[in-house]
Order: sequence, then structure tokens, then C-alpha cells
Amino acid sequence: MTVPEDAYCELSFSPNISLISTVRRFVGDFYEKVLGDAEVTSRLVVATHELLENAVRYSVDGQSSIRIGVGRVEDHVHVVIDTRNKTKPENRDALMKLLDEMNASGNRCTFYQALMKRSATRTEGSGLGLGRIHAESEMDLTCELIDGVVRLRAEARFPSTKESVS
Amino acid sequence: MTIQEINTRELKTETEVQKSAFTVKMTGFAEMPMMAELDGFLKRLHQSAIDAQIPEVVIDIRPLEFMNSSCFKAFVSWINTLQEAPEASQYRVRFVSDEKKHWQNRSLGALACFAVDLIKVETSSMGS
Repeated sequence: MTVPEDAYCELSFSPNISLISTVRRFVGDFYEKVLGDAEVTSRLVVATHELLENAVRYSVDGQSSIRIGVGRVEDHVHVVIDTRNKTKPENRDALMKLLDEMNASGNRCTFYQALMKRSATRTEGSGLGLGRIHAESEMDLTCELIDGVVRLRAEARFPSTKESVS
Repeated sequence: MTIQEINTRELKTETEVQKSAFTVKMTGFAEMPMMAELDGFLKRLHQSAIDAQIPEVVIDIRPLEFMNSSCFKAFVSWINTLQEAPEASQYRVRFVSDEKKHWQNRSLGALACFAVDLIKVETSSMGS
């Protein structure tokens, strides 16, 4: 869905684990300023952090970008967080498979609980980051491949509590 | 009995050992570089609680500013291990979260659903 944006923020960075918390704090301030809602900001900060970690972990060329767009739709705000990075085909396939499974599940919490059970004995990665965005942040996740670049998108509508977003 | 703490710039634990409970206070940021430290700490905590036949472990995460999914997974693995332990050696886990840190309430809510019989979540403000 395309929604007119009232505010956006876009960053390109070279994947570095220590940069993630810096970017998280920066976008946290952005959300707080634009949305003025601590609860929604907290959801978006978690989602942004997990998307950034995903991008850093799976980028193959040391480059990632994130774009955050916020737009007002009647009495809601529509938020889109978009990350882009190149990745290995096997990681891309695993991502697509997880999202297909996630989006086919009827219940965010039930699917998250199943992911938690699955992750409990995993030794490589947590397998929980995207589940956390889907269940805890209540955002929808989609993914597409454009010229070899994976574009992972999280979006949601939240009730608007503030006049700002301008 | 003492449990080897996490004492890094990013994340710290302080554990109070009593007969009735082990109480752990976590401070800082539980992010990707801290995953192995946290995982190791929770394994030590679990073994010590089993050895001492402690009825309850309290984890106060109110001073924790952020936790990523890798560190959250360390908690999931710990709780899963506890669920699979013989019933006679199981202990209860009580988390204390800060009502103003919304992520804590959502993450702990999900964890509580994961082990309804073993986990309680208590919410309070930092000052109490």
C-alpha cells in the first residue's frame, strides 16, 4: 500500500554491529519527535533494531540502508520501515520461507510461540528477530528481490495520539 | 554460594543469593555482543538454582534499557531447559519489569505465555 509520507528518514551505512545501537537511538528520537507516543515508539524501536541486525548479519557486501516513512491516514499513522541489502541466495530463500509461513499463520502470538519453541534449541542465530517484529511490534512483513538486493519491509498502522507528524 | 556475574561495560548482573530465592538485577544493554555472556550466565544461574533447590528465581530487568532477539533467545532457551527439567527440581521464575519500558512488558508477556505455569511477570516503576 502506498501512503503519502509526512516525514521520513533514510540512512545508508556500512554494516557494523556497534553502529546498530547508535542508529536505534537516532531513529528512536525521530519516532518520538514525529509520533509523540512512547508505546508506539517502543514498538518501532524494537522493529528497527531487529531489521538493522538482520541487515548487518546477512549483508554480503558490507552495505545496508534503512528508510523509515511516517504518514497520517485519517486518525492513524502509517509507518513503513524498509531495509535493503545484498545477501546470499540461501539466506534469501530462508527469509522468503519464513515470511510465507508467518504471513500464512492466522495468529501472530501463536506463531511467535511456535518460533520460540523452535529457537530454544537452535545454535545458529536466534530465529526470533522477525517474529518479534510481527508479534511484539504488530507489524506486517513483506520481502522482495530487486536487482539482487533484498528489500525487507515492515509496516503497520497505529492510532494517532498527536497532531504532529509534520 | 556465589554465581559468576556478568560485568561488562554494556551489561551487568548483580545476584543476591538467599534460601528463598535468587534475585538477579540486570543493568545496561543486552544486545548481540552480549549474547554469549548472557547465555553462559543463565546456564550458571539455572545449575545453581537446581543444586540449591531454590523455589524461586527473580529477574529484575527494570534497569535494562534494551534487549535484542539474540539475548531474548537466551531467556527462551533457559526457560525451555527449566520446562524440561524433572518437575521436582523445577523452580518458579518471577520477572520484574518497568511499566514505562513498554518493550519489557511485551517481551516478558510473550515469554510468560511460553511457560504459563513457571513464569510470573510483575510490573512496577523503577522507584519501587
